[in-house]
Amino acid sequence: MRAIKHLAALALFAGVIWAQSPSEPPRLVEGLQKFHAGDLRGAETSFRAVLAAADNVTARAFLALSLAGTGRCEEAVPELRAQASNAPDAEVRRLTGLALLDCDTRAGRFAEAFRDAGSLKSMNPADADTLYETARLYNRAWNETLRELFERAPASFRVNQLSAEIFESQANYTAAITEYRKAIAKSPATIGMHYRLGRAILMQSHAPEAMTEARREFDAELQLNTSDAAAEYEVAEILIAQQHPEEAAARLEKAIQSDPEFPEALIALARLRSTAGRNGEAIPLLERAVKLAPRSQSARMSLMLAYRKAGRLEDAKAQKEALEKLVAPPGGEFSDFLKRLGEKNP
Amino acid sequence: MRGMLLAAGIGVAFALAALPKDSPVAADFRDIAAQAGLRRAVPNGGDKSKKFIIETTGSGVAFLDYNNDGLPDIFVVSGDGGLSRLYRNDGHGTFTDVTEAMGITRMGWGEGVCAGDFDNDGFTDLFVTYWGQNVLYRNVGGKRFEDVTAKAGLTQSRRRYNTGCAFLDYDRDGKLDLFVSNYLDFDPAETPKPGANPYCWYRNMPVNCGPRGLPFESNLLYHNEGGGKFRDVSQSSGVGEPRQSYCLGVLTADFNDDGWPDIFVACDQTPSLLFMNRKNGTFSEEGLDRGVALDENGKALSGMGATAADYDGDGRLDIFRTNFSDERETLYRNRGGGEFDETTEAAGLARNTSFVGWGCVFFDYDNDGWPDLFLVNGHVFPEVDRLHIDIHYKDRPILYHNLANGKFEDVSLRAGPGLLERHSSRGAAAADIDNDGLLELLVNNQNEAPTLLKNAARSEGHWITLALTGVKSNRSAIGAKVRVTAGGRTQVDEVRSGGSYLSQNDLRLHFGLGAAQRVDRIDIDWPAGGRQTLRNVAADRVLAIQEAISE
Repeated sequence: MRAIKHLAALALFAGVIWAQSPSEPPRLVEGLQKFHAGDLRGAETSFRAVLAAADNVTARAFLALSLAGTGRCEEAVPELRAQASNAPDAEVRRLTGLALLDCDTRAGRFAEAFRDAGSLKSMNPADADTLYETARLYNRAWNETLRELFERAPASFRVNQLSAEIFESQANYTAAITEYRKAIAKSPATIGMHYRLGRAILMQSHAPEAMTEARREFDAELQLNTSDAAAEYEVAEILIAQQHPEEAAARLEKAIQSDPEFPEALIALARLRSTAGRNGEAIPLLERAVKLAPRSQSARMSLMLAYRKAGRLEDAKAQKEALEKLVAPPGGEFSDFLKRLGEKNP
Repeated sequence: MRGMLLAAGIGVAFALAALPKDSPVAADFRDIAAQAGLRRAVPNGGDKSKKFIIETTGSGVAFLDYNNDGLPDIFVVSGDGGLSRLYRNDGHGTFTDVTEAMGITRMGWGEGVCAGDFDNDGFTDLFVTYWGQNVLYRNVGGKRFEDVTAKAGLTQSRRRYNTGCAFLDYDRDGKLDLFVSNYLDFDPAETPKPGANPYCWYRNMPVNCGPRGLPFESNLLYHNEGGGKFRDVSQSSGVGEPRQSYCLGVLTADFNDDGWPDIFVACDQTPSLLFMNRKNGTFSEEGLDRGVALDENGKALSGMGATAADYDGDGRLDIFRTNFSDERETLYRNRGGGEFDETTEAAGLARNTSFVGWGCVFFDYDNDGWPDLFLVNGHVFPEVDRLHIDIHYKDRPILYHNLANGKFEDVSLRAGPGLLERHSSRGAAAADIDNDGLLELLVNNQNEAPTLLKNAARSEGHWITLALTGVKSNRSAIGAKVRVTAGGRTQVDEVRSGGSYLSQNDLRLHFGLGAAQRVDRIDIDWPAGGRQTLRNVAADRVLAIQEAISE
């Protein structure tokens, strides 16, 4: 079994402790030196010797880390769990927490692992190691659950639905559409499936027929759930594209009635009002949209223009300033990061 | 919320392609390039894959009458590996390659071209932009071109990625100044290779990197000092302030009708810019305030080319901009005072989203008095063809017919075989090469010969073409605003250098007149300030008008 992935960090940290602890028992310093050098088996021997003489919290922590690092998670876990919560040193808590998360994830103890991750994140919200390990946990849990679904319920429409969603995320819309259709054939009354199918159809093709085909799916969704604001919105967007603004406005009003906190519908309705020369009616709709979605460029842009059109230049300026912050490209740091990435030949 | 999560893709997904309909179309465009003598392919980077972004952006085309014989000649800008070509219009539907004979010598990564008589000697000069040193070719009596770049003070101290350009008289002193847009700071040694970072991927394929992730560059403005000299006023004018935009196509016009030329710049993946002329030698960038920087969703699209016309007949110049695939083209209606509303969808244009658009030209192909719209396409990534989807490296152009009610109809598929040919096109320009009243279209195609589209359909509409010459104003009359009143309607346009995508239309103005056989009046606002009016002018001819300085 592979060593724990944080060995390098742990080894460095052990070196720091070793350097700062000349008054510690000689075998502890020796253990930390060995740990620092990557000799985990040798370090284990030293830490056990320290603990045979007297209890030592550092020795317990690093013995557990050495055990985990040499593939003996089960032996290490009780101490890791204790140290991750109670170690006096925050860095020891973080390192033992990461090792514990790794052990629980590898053992498939997802409930415990999610608790480990939650605890780590609450203590180290911006720690890259914590976030990375948490992401790996979710990925592992996702894969494990997928395997279970495909093994235990292979004929279920959920298998097709999940396949479709995966294809969709890979921009393979043709395959996604096929899987959605299979899922719908197996379970025609499942809410949300016609909607997803309609979306995939629109994403798959730029051809005009796609719009008609997608519209059928959104209508089917609305038959299953008459208050589905998202499907109503999609129908409205199609109507706008087909140059039927009045019908579209009616559908958007219905969408907003179903979901008063639907910013895209508010924005779309406001635009129709503005185009129809009813800018005064557009403004309150857009103000609602901005309040609901302050980071929406679309809402900010539309409100800025509506204010400007109404001669409210100061209000427009405020929206412009907010919009500029939203559209600003990545700062120098990110560009530099990309450049550094680019220095490596693919 | 589901709607919130998924809304981002809605605009791009809606697309109604051109559908053949039964209504007649007075368009039958044929590609006559080969028979006209335009057979030489124009090199421009890889055709199967492109390693660097420099291979994706070239190049422009120009119509100019360099020898003052009344027939528009042709200039085709070349990428690395070839000379840009100058073709003389022989007047019989054929052109002769006079490149070397006329002294066109510069090679390199040519990008854009613009024309104007910068020294007011009566002969139209040429400016060509490069990744590298730009070239100012002075037209010596229509007999040869002289590279006067260094003499004119246009030498650049470092290698720049110059793209669009336009001559304009921004201070109205009667001498043409020069605006040059810049794309980004490009150095192949510093630029990551395909796939090297997240900005070097397209639909799961490694592709050339950028523009995102590459450093920004600043735009340039040169003031014409007279005596054949220019002075870099980029900083003092405000044009050269650092901006986070990747700039390509340049479009000049007096958008707010204050008599002073403004500058619109189409920018790639970043906000487009609108430099409003403050009448004191400086400009203020107001694209966002005036509604042309982004689309109506507040997104910066991949602006490439731009063109202007009064598409809805309200007397104001509107802006059309080409964008990337999975984006729609953008039409901005000028609602007065240089304030714009995006009207793309309402105008019926949001229907072709599988194309990467470049050159674009408003022109009245059927002489019905309403400007139609032509745009050319072609993807930046040849690799896209491996995906076998409806987005292609080589694609057909698009022709929209203006329905005279604020809407356009896509007539591409029934406007002649020339509009069905697929190329990876970039620059495009319009001119009436044979003065028959119908406009031809010139297109630069990457690694292929140019396309020259001639409309073989006959039009019932009458027309007039105006060839303006400035006296107190610059000789090219660039910036002159012309209103033509005929048949109860008034049309407006301006003489313009640059435009489209890194290209140059004929400096003469063409107006379709519909059924009107006479023009009731022609009003010209000259850049120097005078207004000139002609009344009761016969249609169906090219009319030369010289600025009357006594008025």
